[in-house]
Amino acid sequence: MSRLELITPEGLRVDGRRANELRKITAKTSVFSQADGSAYIEQGNTKCLAAVYGPREVRHRMQALADRSLINVEFNVAPFSSSERKKRSKNDKRSLEVAAFIRQTFEPVILTSQFPKTQIDIYLQIFQNDGGLLQSCINAATMALVDAGIPMLDYVCACSAGCIDKEPVLDLNNLEESADTPELTVAILPRTGKVTLLEMESRLHVDKLASVTELATEGCMQIHKVLDGVIRQNTEHLMSRLNA
Amino acid sequence: MSSAIENLEIFSRIQPHEYLKRFLDQSVRPDGRLLNLFRKTMITSGAISTANASAMVRLGGTTVVCGIKAEVCEPKVSVPNQGYLVPNVELSPLCSPKFKPGPPSDKAQAVSEFINQLFIKSHIFPLESLCIEPGKAVWVLYADIVCLNYDGNILDASLLALTTALKDLKLPKAEVSSSMVVEVDSTEITEPIQLSRLPVSSTFCIFNNPDVILSDPNDTEETLAKETVTIVTDLDHNLVRIYKNGGTTIDANGLKQCIHNAKQRTNEINSLMNEALLK
Repeated sequence: MSRLELITPEGLRVDGRRANELRKITAKTSVFSQADGSAYIEQGNTKCLAAVYGPREVRHRMQALADRSLINVEFNVAPFSSSERKKRSKNDKRSLEVAAFIRQTFEPVILTSQFPKTQIDIYLQIFQNDGGLLQSCINAATMALVDAGIPMLDYVCACSAGCIDKEPVLDLNNLEESADTPELTVAILPRTGKVTLLEMESRLHVDKLASVTELATEGCMQIHKVLDGVIRQNTEHLMSRLNA
Repeated sequence: MSSAIENLEIFSRIQPHEYLKRFLDQSVRPDGRLLNLFRKTMITSGAISTANASAMVRLGGTTVVCGIKAEVCEPKVSVPNQGYLVPNVELSPLCSPKFKPGPPSDKAQAVSEFINQLFIKSHIFPLESLCIEPGKAVWVLYADIVCLNYDGNILDASLLALTTALKDLKLPKAEVSSSMVVEVDSTEITEPIQLSRLPVSSTFCIFNNPDVILSDPNDTEETLAKETVTIVTDLDHNLVRIYKNGGTTIDANGLKQCIHNAKQRTNEINSLMNEALLK
């Protein structure tokens, strides 16, 4: 079986990128009318949608927290999103795990103590899966939360990185992820550089950990610039409409 | 000025029927539409590259995405040369605060079944065209329709997304080899599926006080209406299906009016769909 060359001797990856290049990101907010805040992110071929409802009344009274808001995340992958149709149930362990990660990432960042006894729902939907699901979800959720006007300490920007042939590479796509590449996802608060999520499931040599994490952090800062630009543009647009 | 707007909002929430009635008495709707106008429709085809065919439809605020994936399986013993089409409509809490998380709601199941029955009973396209080898292997088309934003009239939007995606679907060439393994050659693509009829649905909602019929109800109009009537026609203006589930009565003229509007709508949709598929 021929092994696919993930990185050529000239340093090009399967999609023509260099080791430290991010995929093209396009982001939009306020895409839907029903949700309080919504965002759509395309990172390369991965398409992710986030809708935020809240703060609103808690669904089950018993679960309400007296001093802060409850955060509920639902992660859903469309059956047509990967090359093989997989009807993933919403309650399967993998989806629940990703949802739990995202909830734990946002819990310390959202100022939940301002809305006691309420619930903030974040719904994530993946339309096309080309790697980097966790990072797209976190980025989309951040934009949707800002669009909904929910106060947060800072943006949460996430990026994935891995190690191919002992070299750190940024933003893995599906082909690279499935080829046994160690992959690490990190989410940071850009202004302070503090890490809110660091996730790695495969095997990575401890000597490489520092360089891969550093590369991923740089990727997060680049993503932050893009997201911030979109939000500011939308806000300027809104302001011009208000003042007209 | 702003307090007048606040009062209007309060009025629309505590007395939604009266609020709507004030508009309908003037033959107009709260969003400014005339009674028989459909909302702005936008169709995009081929947005999802991982699916065999896909389409996204925006009908006013209601947005749906349909993705079709083709898989191979054994045919039913009773009809060995027919494949299947499996539509599935998902109405998740993402699209509206009305939907609770959990198993598919009644509404989602009803819409899925409506579409399913439409394709089975009205012979929209010959299921024999999905056959690879009779008795051994057929194509199954899983059509997953995900609603992204719910603003009424999910039925029209879902059917439109499904038919657009079907028109765009091209299946790869498949053969059953001698060792009973199905080989799919994704480099060779066959002709797109020929639909024998193109169904276009038009939904109307009926009010008693005043006696009006509104085309393409949005979310608020749908919840306040006595009943919704759906008429499915094809491009030759034949009636494919009429669905009126018995909330109130409608006279013959009213029904004729609905059918007339449905035929006009079919023409509009045909040109929109052709534009979308050309791109």
